[in-house]
Amino acid sequence: MELALQQKLVAQLASDRAFRETFFADPARVAASEGLTGEALSQSHCEQLRQFARVLQHRRLAQVGELLPLTHKALGTRFADLFHNYAITPPSGTRPCEDALGFVRHLKQHAATEGLEPAWSLSLARYEAAQIEATWLDERLVFRCLPHAVRKLSALLAVGDVPAGSYRRLSLALWWRTSTRSRLKHWLR
Amino acid sequence: MGRKTEITNLLAHLPRLGVGLAYRESFRDELLHHQSEVDFVEIIGDHYIDAPPERMDELALLSEHFTILPHFTNLSLGTAEGIDPVYLEKIANLIRRLNPPWWSEHIGFTRAGGIHLGQSAPLPFTQEAVEVMTKNIITARRAIATPLMLENVCSPLAWPGGEMDEPTFISEVLRSGGTGLLLDVSSLLNHAVNLGGTPATFLEKLPLDRVVQVHFSGGQDACGQLVESRAHPIPEALWQLLDDAVARAPVRCICLERDDVLPPLSEMLGEVERARAIGRQHQRWS
Repeated sequence: MELALQQKLVAQLASDRAFRETFFADPARVAASEGLTGEALSQSHCEQLRQFARVLQHRRLAQVGELLPLTHKALGTRFADLFHNYAITPPSGTRPCEDALGFVRHLKQHAATEGLEPAWSLSLARYEAAQIEATWLDERLVFRCLPHAVRKLSALLAVGDVPAGSYRRLSLALWWRTSTRSRLKHWLR
Repeated sequence: MGRKTEITNLLAHLPRLGVGLAYRESFRDELLHHQSEVDFVEIIGDHYIDAPPERMDELALLSEHFTILPHFTNLSLGTAEGIDPVYLEKIANLIRRLNPPWWSEHIGFTRAGGIHLGQSAPLPFTQEAVEVMTKNIITARRAIATPLMLENVCSPLAWPGGEMDEPTFISEVLRSGGTGLLLDVSSLLNHAVNLGGTPATFLEKLPLDRVVQVHFSGGQDACGQLVESRAHPIPEALWQLLDDAVARAPVRCICLERDDVLPPLSEMLGEVERARAIGRQHQRWS
């Protein structure tokens, strides 16, 4: 089944940057190591694969941006830069919500190691991630304690930019369902 | 009755829907206010698989006001590993619930080697790929009686070792799978521009009697390559191609797709109305 091997190779090349760079260094050798005996993806296809990888990343970015609208607004153009650093490997799950959660985990790591400005953008990301867990992952009860004024920041972002300030104030957020088929309830203070 | 005649007859009896919009949650309320200006709504069916009750409420609301066409991206009909039977069953359940006139997927693959790409990748234009598509389509059609339409995909990636050109490949897949065509004219235009051909030549080679639905969306020039951004107004070249396609193919409906940076709904409705006029001019609907 040559096609199955070819598709696996293309999927890896399109979604995994490190694998892609190794492949581009010596396409024939890597193709052979993957068990491909037919016409290997040659150097002439490398740029096409890079472009295809960019298209896939762009689509992932658009989907994740839709799921994290507050975080997107808070970070502005840096949202895309940070996402591109995250999306060098395939999404961990099969659904956009799982990709969004993976990106928020990446933001937390980034904030811990290199910092993230404004600091309150991480609180918004954690808030939106919790909402995704409550909405999409069959969680009956989700609770978050966040160090910034999430409600106020959400309202400000809804109408424009957020004026400079620390916005430090404890926010408590709760989501719950009484059963998996019941509607989601939310409380934020 | 021959198989080709049987399928052509089936397609000819599908309803003429007119012009609709690919649904995005952000314009739901406004869309409901303008429902008389939109003939149907296309949803991304995958977004309603394993969905929470709130999302299914939204679908029920849309179903009350519009004909719904479910469009899928993640069944991966072109995957050589075979389609996921669990996912297929979930799609079948959703389609039973919606009872649409048809449903659609892509001529491509989104899953291979445990990786989910989230967007259709193209197939090599080989007999092996035709056979893989055919086998998976037959499996899907056994599970879902509703007619299936397949969409052409646009990708910067062209596989080496092609045994036929793309229109021939598409024709073979449709013929052996017994399906109609969802013709994405934006992909067709981008593909032709990027590969140095003309969309009219490509269009001519396609089995136009199989075209049931048309997708159109704005493109963007990215480093000399046209990409389907769905974030821009429809360029004049695409309006001309749409006109050409609708004049020559027995189109039952046209769907506008916009993503990313959504313009005001009024702008999209203007494009819907222009597409409706094209269909009317070619007597596809009254």
